Amino acid sequence: MSRIFRVAMREYLENVKTKGFWIGILLFPVMIWVMMEVPQFLEEKGIPTRHVVIVSKDAEAGKLARQRLTLLNRQKILFSLQQHIAEATEPMRQEMLEEQEIDAAELLDRLEVGLEQMNQGSAEINPFNPKQLIDIGDLVPEEYLLNDGQWLAMRNLMLSQLPKDTAEFVEPDARFMEVSLLPGLTDQATDEEIEEALRPYLRAEKLYPANGRNVDLFALVLIPENVLIEKKPIRFWSSNLADTDLLDAITGALTDKVRQMEYDDRGISPSDVAEISQLSVRSNNFNPNKQVGEEKVGIRDKIRQYAPIGFVYLLWIAIFTVAQMLLNNTIEEKSNRIIEVLLSSVTTNELLLGKVFGVAAVGVTMQLAWIGSLIGIMRLKAGPGAEWVFDLMAAVVSPELLIGFVFYFITGYLFYAFLFAGIGSICNTIKEAQNFMGPMMLILMVPLGTMMFIPNDPNGTIATVMSWVPPWTPFIMMNRMAANPPMTEIVATAIMLVISVLVVFWLSAKIFRIGVLRTGQPPKLMELLGWLKSSRP
Amino acid sequence: MTVAIELSNVVKTYGDFRAVDDVSFAVEEGTICGFLGPNGAGKTTSIRMILDILRPTSGSISVLGHNVASEVRDRIGYLPEEKGLYKKMTATGVIAYFATLKGVPGREATAKARELLDRYGLSAFKEHKCEALSKGMGQKVQVLASIAHDPDLVILDEPFSGLDPVNQEVMEEVIQDLKSRGKTVLFSTHVMSHAERICESIVVIAAGKMAFHGSVAEARALLPSRVRVRGENIEELVSGLPGVNAVKPSTDGRADVLELHIDEETDPRSLLKLFFDSGKTLDTFEVVQPDLHEIFVHLVGEEAREAADR
Repeated sequence: MSRIFRVAMREYLENVKTKGFWIGILLFPVMIWVMMEVPQFLEEKGIPTRHVVIVSKDAEAGKLARQRLTLLNRQKILFSLQQHIAEATEPMRQEMLEEQEIDAAELLDRLEVGLEQMNQGSAEINPFNPKQLIDIGDLVPEEYLLNDGQWLAMRNLMLSQLPKDTAEFVEPDARFMEVSLLPGLTDQATDEEIEEALRPYLRAEKLYPANGRNVDLFALVLIPENVLIEKKPIRFWSSNLADTDLLDAITGALTDKVRQMEYDDRGISPSDVAEISQLSVRSNNFNPNKQVGEEKVGIRDKIRQYAPIGFVYLLWIAIFTVAQMLLNNTIEEKSNRIIEVLLSSVTTNELLLGKVFGVAAVGVTMQLAWIGSLIGIMRLKAGPGAEWVFDLMAAVVSPELLIGFVFYFITGYLFYAFLFAGIGSICNTIKEAQNFMGPMMLILMVPLGTMMFIPNDPNGTIATVMSWVPPWTPFIMMNRMAANPPMTEIVATAIMLVISVLVVFWLSAKIFRIGVLRTGQPPKLMELLGWLKSSRP
Repeated sequence: MTVAIELSNVVKTYGDFRAVDDVSFAVEEGTICGFLGPNGAGKTTSIRMILDILRPTSGSISVLGHNVASEVRDRIGYLPEEKGLYKKMTATGVIAYFATLKGVPGREATAKARELLDRYGLSAFKEHKCEALSKGMGQKVQVLASIAHDPDLVILDEPFSGLDPVNQEVMEEVIQDLKSRGKTVLFSTHVMSHAERICESIVVIAAGKMAFHGSVAEARALLPSRVRVRGENIEELVSGLPGVNAVKPSTDGRADVLELHIDEETDPRSLLKLFFDSGKTLDTFEVVQPDLHEIFVHLVGEEAREAADR
């Protein structure tokens, strides 16, 4: 026993000392951080202003399209204005302990009064509290945004409410900017002429001259005559097919108009339509597996349903990282012939178990560090006052899920660890090991691939059948845990899993025993089978 | 005298190949035994069987009074033929680790490792990583690792290979030290001079079979005593001398030197007197002690060549 411990101890300390271990530990929080920050960063700064040429043969359609772009631009400014206010008033809002119900109508009335006062140049404006100030942003009607005067007044009103020492508000870059046609071309030119003239700019072969600067031309939009009546397609030219925001904005604006005209034609009032489109049938969801009176399914239950995916991921990553360490260490000992000295001091079983446990400890340390840093980041992002993170975790980590996770983690880990140690023992170089790693990785990819759809049908045929394939049992069963699979199935697969782990240990120990002393080519399959039959080398 | 290692009719086969074929010998406690044989003779396989890393196909082995070495493995030190260390561990760390595997408590093992490194001239490299050590130094560290737990029996597979002459001497010293503290040492080599200097007994195997087992003196007796002479017109004379069984050209390759194989009872000095009496001019007269090298070639030369041809 103490020898297993010694071997495990060395294995642990040596792996913990490696750079790879620390990179692994530090990379995870960095990646989480990046994953949280980058989309926001891209939203704010990453996507450049899209320059677009709009040629409309239809005056009204052109106006609608341009209005929509203005609206989107101002919404973006409004959003960052809200963030600016939120940052500036952070301490004030912290002091406001009472959660206030927001009365949208009242707030809008007050906004109107405030704007009136602004317009009259009144020095005293009814003050808004910071929460209201932020909420206004969500409530502002489109007309306010589209009216230049009101937009400006509102912007100033909101900024005037901030404390004096607030940093200046910097407006973000516009999302869309219309640029005029090339000199020499008019709106009256044919589509073909315009397209021909702009083609090199759209292909990004040339920069487009606009307002004395040269810019990348993102798109050309040609709106045909009578588009609102005849509903002919507009012509949208752009080499970027992925970003459809601009196209969606323009087609959306025209579609809204076309529909509105149709409602008018048929004598349906637009306000009726708006009202009707608000109607929907909602559902209350119940789960028969829960206690009577508690069957109602809430968001927590939904989270709980999908939480095992996180566990599956953790197990998968653990196996993947640990497999590499086991292979490397076994092959190092083998190629250095350290193995002979080791075997004169410990038995092969002690060596195998020591290695597997030592490396397991490394994996667990890494995962604990990850979970710790995850909680740390979430606390940091959510602010110190937010206990919701812990509420969420409490919901996710219910006792039966946790027990399941620990059990499947241990068995799943041991199953693969023994396999990889066995593989390491018959290889002399990492390169040889790669040949065996291929099929192993294929087997490991399967539970990862099915991970997302198992929760949709957790007790279905595929899930049930896969639960009985030992290499996949830990993953699939963990995946299904939240859906309360039949107890008989849980117990039966658990027994099968434990037996499989023992069988894999027995097989690996046999192969390990002979493999570690062998040099030269890895054995053929038939030879391996022979090893299993022999009692001892 | 008790016996530290005893092999009786040990056979190890791999399929049809008999790697070790009916080998029997015993090593007495507190002695140094040289285990000699050409490459591929089965030395390493035999050693692995002594250590219970491999099991013999048939025959029995007893080590320190036990039938299975793993029962007494804490009292055995082993240096394998191919040397290697954990690259990322320090010299002290490696020695201490191997000692702890032999049951030495952690702190004691580290202290012992430092002491050994000091004693054998590696003080400056105690905290160096093994990958930073030269080949010879690494090998020394490994030897120290095999004796750090103060074993009663030390088995060294090719301890001299890869060492420069100075370090070969240090190695001999290490082995002598062990013996002076009452330990038993079995080491394999194919360099005869080391065995000749420090061994009490030698075991020679060739192609898996026993070729010789006995003391160095007994091994010497396997070859006839010889006298090398050179002089003018002495061929006729020498062939008629009493006690001379054969006259051959010298085996050391010098031209016109003759080698006389003489009876064991014949005193070379009596031959020298006969030369003087004959009045012939003699410019060389040397008594040749057969060294182990020659005995080795004599014993296993044919098999070794055959093995090389295979």
